[in-house]
Amino acid sequence: MSDAFPTTAPDEAMALALRRIAESEAAGRGSEMAGLGFNQVVVNMGPQHPSTHGVLRLVVTLDGELVRDVIPVIGYLHRGKEKLAEKRTYFQYIPIPDRTEYVAGMNCEWGYVRTVEKLAGIQPTRRSEFIRVVMAELNRIASHQVGVGTFVADLAPLGTALVFYAFRHREKILDLFESASGARMMFNYFRFGGVRYDLPDGWVEQCRELMTQVPAWCDEYESLVNDNAVFLQRCIGKGVMTQEDVGDYAITGPNARASGVAHDLRRTRPYSVYPELDFKVCLGEHGDVYDRYQVRVDEIRESARIVLQCLDMLPSGPVQLGTLRAPYVITPPPGACYTAQENPRGEYGTYIESDGSRYPYRLKYRDPCFVNLQIFPKLLRGNKIADAVAISGSMDLVLGGIDR
Amino acid sequence: MLPAIGSAGLSIDDVAARLGAELGADLTDAHVQEPDTVVAAVERTRLHDVAVRLRALDGLAYESCNFVAAVDHRDHFETVYHLYSFASNTYLELHVEVPRAKPVVDTVSDVWPAADWHEREAWDMMGIRFEGHPDLRRILLSDDWVGHPLRKDYVDSIENHPHV
Repeated sequence: MSDAFPTTAPDEAMALALRRIAESEAAGRGSEMAGLGFNQVVVNMGPQHPSTHGVLRLVVTLDGELVRDVIPVIGYLHRGKEKLAEKRTYFQYIPIPDRTEYVAGMNCEWGYVRTVEKLAGIQPTRRSEFIRVVMAELNRIASHQVGVGTFVADLAPLGTALVFYAFRHREKILDLFESASGARMMFNYFRFGGVRYDLPDGWVEQCRELMTQVPAWCDEYESLVNDNAVFLQRCIGKGVMTQEDVGDYAITGPNARASGVAHDLRRTRPYSVYPELDFKVCLGEHGDVYDRYQVRVDEIRESARIVLQCLDMLPSGPVQLGTLRAPYVITPPPGACYTAQENPRGEYGTYIESDGSRYPYRLKYRDPCFVNLQIFPKLLRGNKIADAVAISGSMDLVLGGIDR
Repeated sequence: MLPAIGSAGLSIDDVAARLGAELGADLTDAHVQEPDTVVAAVERTRLHDVAVRLRALDGLAYESCNFVAAVDHRDHFETVYHLYSFASNTYLELHVEVPRAKPVVDTVSDVWPAADWHEREAWDMMGIRFEGHPDLRRILLSDDWVGHPLRKDYVDSIENHPHV
């Protein structure tokens, strides 16, 4: 046995955790359970752990059930997407952002395409702008369904029903994506100046019919858990994020709005046709686990409203720029540009520096999950380990975006 | 409590003027990038001081560091800091030139905790050292990786990742 699985020296994160324990004990801040003969222990949670929703690894220092310290370790899904950009033309790179925050591929693709459009001075056609908003908001619904569903499933057996309902509903949205773009999740649908295909016949009616059901879906989710005493006890007052935390750690998206910070780039830094649309920025009050859950459910309702408005306003016209060659060979003038947009998980930005060639000189993602994850040690410290699972679930991380 | 977004009621030109008046000597080449960003360059040795003053600017405090990017310009490196001010709802983009021979720059993770991991990423990918950073380890690549892959002169080799 020992030959087949040789024990290796602890890696840097593990060593750091052990060092911090030694320091705290040397400073007289040892285990509170020391009287009972216990010490602080380091538990390696992940990268294969069902409640981390991906290959997130948390090196947790426990004192009894209490979390004393957390060291997140990431990079297990790193695929070098920023390096890849330097070896591909702007056009060839379009499918790659799909694979960063992979449950919200439409939004990610849009983020990249918008940055290049701004760099190159391309104005997308008006019909395609509306189609883009429809796709992005549909994907926000699908993404929040994953977030809320898996979060509730983490908490207790009571949530298992919700995750199945949410995923079943999400599948209907993915069917819409499939009929419009040809793919469920990895779309390759956006083009510079427009989108790849116009909507197929009957798509608008199908989408409208589905969106009118969304409020009933949300009522169903809420009726499953919102009155459940066990659910409420595990959510309310847990993992509170103050507004100062939001500023310090640059938290964005539903996690920031749950703390009452009305930061929504669709409103604060309007882009595309959002200024023409009527929607509410959903806010929480306390910044606890419950508010982060509730804000997401509310946003599903709002997104459905936005989609319905866009379908009503959808103008006719081309979905790509007339000159066929233009979208394929792009050589933006030298310069740097950062654009950001509201992804389901927060501000998804792309910083591109161009040297005037057909290849991006440097591309940097500002991924919301990467930034949001930084607050974990502060948020989890002092909680019970079971609550740590609830808190990390409520942050709704996607490792594809964190590791890139 | 954070100030309400946009509560200062300043236009981007007002913000640029205010920044020019308060930090004019340190912000060189400042200009407005439409619609809501001020872009400026900062001397490497002045960065930390500028960061502290920006964080505390009365009525126009830059509370958030959105991201830190590192760029390899072949003859020198550049670090880019993207800051956000809630009260004015505007952004400030600082560019700092870092010499290639000695790629060291002061950390701002003590001013904006959010900069912590971005600086670790810049160290991991570009090999820029951040002086005073509390925990400058590799973040995305494995601990035993050799070299910094986003440098333009990086040559990939199986020896660079011995664990594979």
